[in-house]
Amino acid sequence: MSTKILVTVKEVAEVDDEFEISGLDIDDRYLEYDLNEWDDYAVEEAVQLSEAGDDVEVVTVTLGPERSEETIRMALAKGADRAVRVWDDALADAGLLDATTKADLLAAVVESEEPDLVLTGVQAADDSFGATGVALAERVGFEWAAVVNDLDYDADANVSSVRRELEGGVEELTDVEGPAVLTIQTGINEPRYASLRGIRQAQRKPLDVHALDDLGLDESVVDSPVDLTSMYEPESEGDAVVWEGSPDETADELATFLREQGVVEG
Amino acid sequence: MLDYVGLEADLDAEEQLIRDTAREFVEEEVRPDIGDHWIEGTFPTELIEEMGDLGFYAPNLDGYGLPDVSETAYGLLMQELEACDSGLRSMASVQGALVMYPIHAYGSEAQKDRLLEDMGRGETIGCFGLTEPSHGSNPSAMETHAEADDDGYVLNGTKTWITNSPLADVALVWARDRSDPDEPVRGFLVETDRDGVETPKLEEKLSLRASVTGQIELSDVHVPEENVLPGVEGMKGPLSCLTQARFGIAWGAVGAARDCFETAREYATDRDQFGKPIASYQLQQEKLAEMATQITTAQLLVYRLTELKERGDLRPEQVSMAKRNNVRTARDQSRIAREMLGGNGITADYSPMRHMANMETVYTYEGTHDIHSLIIGHDLTGIPAFE
Ligand SMILES: Cc1cc2nc3c(=O)[nH]c(=O)nc-3n(C[C@H](O)[C@H](O)[C@H](O)COP(=O)(O)OP(=O)(O)OC[C@H]3O[C@@H](n4cnc5c(N)ncnc54)[C@H](O)[C@@H]3O)c2cc1C
Repeated sequence: MSTKILVTVKEVAEVDDEFEISGLDIDDRYLEYDLNEWDDYAVEEAVQLSEAGDDVEVVTVTLGPERSEETIRMALAKGADRAVRVWDDALADAGLLDATTKADLLAAVVESEEPDLVLTGVQAADDSFGATGVALAERVGFEWAAVVNDLDYDADANVSSVRRELEGGVEELTDVEGPAVLTIQTGINEPRYASLRGIRQAQRKPLDVHALDDLGLDESVVDSPVDLTSMYEPESEGDAVVWEGSPDETADELATFLREQGVVEG
Repeated sequence: MLDYVGLEADLDAEEQLIRDTAREFVEEEVRPDIGDHWIEGTFPTELIEEMGDLGFYAPNLDGYGLPDVSETAYGLLMQELEACDSGLRSMASVQGALVMYPIHAYGSEAQKDRLLEDMGRGETIGCFGLTEPSHGSNPSAMETHAEADDDGYVLNGTKTWITNSPLADVALVWARDRSDPDEPVRGFLVETDRDGVETPKLEEKLSLRASVTGQIELSDVHVPEENVLPGVEGMKGPLSCLTQARFGIAWGAVGAARDCFETAREYATDRDQFGKPIASYQLQQEKLAEMATQITTAQLLVYRLTELKERGDLRPEQVSMAKRNNVRTARDQSRIAREMLGGNGITADYSPMRHMANMETVYTYEGTHDIHSLIIGHDLTGIPAFE
């Protein structure tokens, strides 16, 4: 019996220490793109399942422009078997894609791929909605478990025994019947580095690109009650000064500072 | 990392991924402890197999589970490893270019099957024995020799300054075959657990400290005929390996120099003296400008070299020019970076002085700077100055 695992993979923007905002976004000059940290753990979890089981296929799905193929190839280099990328001019023009839109788009892919298990990251490092995985489960009518930090998967029964991280250090053990969506927490495993062999093979693995039409969707999918209205850097209320070195070395600097600020006299 | 004329923008997707992976691996797994290893005089041996799993040994060769990446990707890998420490790049160079390459090029099928996969995975460690106590720049005067016996050869002699010999499972020893009247140099694969082999460690080096260096002492060591590399005779054997390794060194030196530059640039913009960053003074800006220019020139040289190598037109003399120029650049510029860091520059908390000390080895091994001057001089005039 074969198993198919679908992993959502997002290319996230990382902002330089110094940056400028232009319009509703951070200026592109200050952004670098990388595989979302949570998704890295989700990919690793899926690849480990495929290495442990027989006949497990790992497929990644990404909503993103052509640029994101570099990130997708990284996931393929780490062991995913093939990739699906969804993009369309309508998505590019929409600007913000909210969690519902993403869930609708991913749902169309789930419906055509019919996976036994879907792994997503808990959240994306850039827009941090933290809702896409669960929204997707709801949309396709799958069972779900969020913030999973340990997974024991029984492929024959399609049951995931998961440990979930709750608030306040409490953990919960649950069995989830598949098909299910699990949102994966960092720390569940130790993501591997892509090997040079893996990177070479990744260039030859299938990467299919779908537009809205191909998925049976139309432009209305981007309609959203959520509008991005402004982007700004919050005023900092004070600066922290950190002196590095032993107390002997830094005590003088602290004393001078306190004197200058008028906190102490003399 | 400094890429002033945007050379890396033209890398293909695979090469970029390889560069990024190597950089990430080095940053996360090696850099945090490399200063301590350097001070202690140890190599991070737990990384040897991990680097093998990632395919860092001889990745530009094909077959035997090797990745067969482009020469550019191979160069980028050497660059990223040496940006961390020359000892790390030396590990990959010796294993890949000096031991796996000659087995791949001149070995028998049985030798390739026996060694290449295991060496690629880092499960078998190799070393390259050419230099001797009395013969460094002129290895063709070597005294180490082999005499034929019933089913193989008996080796005698001493090799010194051998990177990784104390860690190695197998040594590729170059020796004169005295059973042939011409006494040609031949390559012998010597397992280090054979009777008569000792590999003592050389202690108290002041350079390349995060790399283990030793000797190979051979007293009446018997090796079977099947341990001789069948495909090569004469100095061409060791010299062709050195051309491969020097190509990697020319790339690696760019990495070390870039790391020095980035460290100095960051330090100079953060460090205030007389009420403003030291980078705001013209004297410091001139140093950065010169450093960036020298590094960019070195970078251009290796990119061109790589094009020539990829299409099979690269001549050893061109590799000599790049090794000579780029290592000199890294040696000189690491000192400038060190000086820009003031007192902090003399500690192992920052990389420039570690690189600077390492560069004394890199300037000396794989043909000293002087010897490369003579190789290029010979090529330019047709007159060999060293004969
Ligand atoms: C850390 C380290 C690791 C090494 N690893 C290895 C290894 O793995 N395998 C290996 O086989 N070797 C290795 N070597 C040895 C290295 O290749 C030799 O040190 C190098 O070839 C120089 O030889 P030498 O030290 O005997 O110096 P010499 O040859 O004695 O040179 C001394 C000086 O004389 C100059 N000189 C020599 N001949 C001439 C000439 N004709 N004209 C003008 N000047 C000349 C040289 O440039 C140099 O400045 C390593 C060396 C070091 C330091």
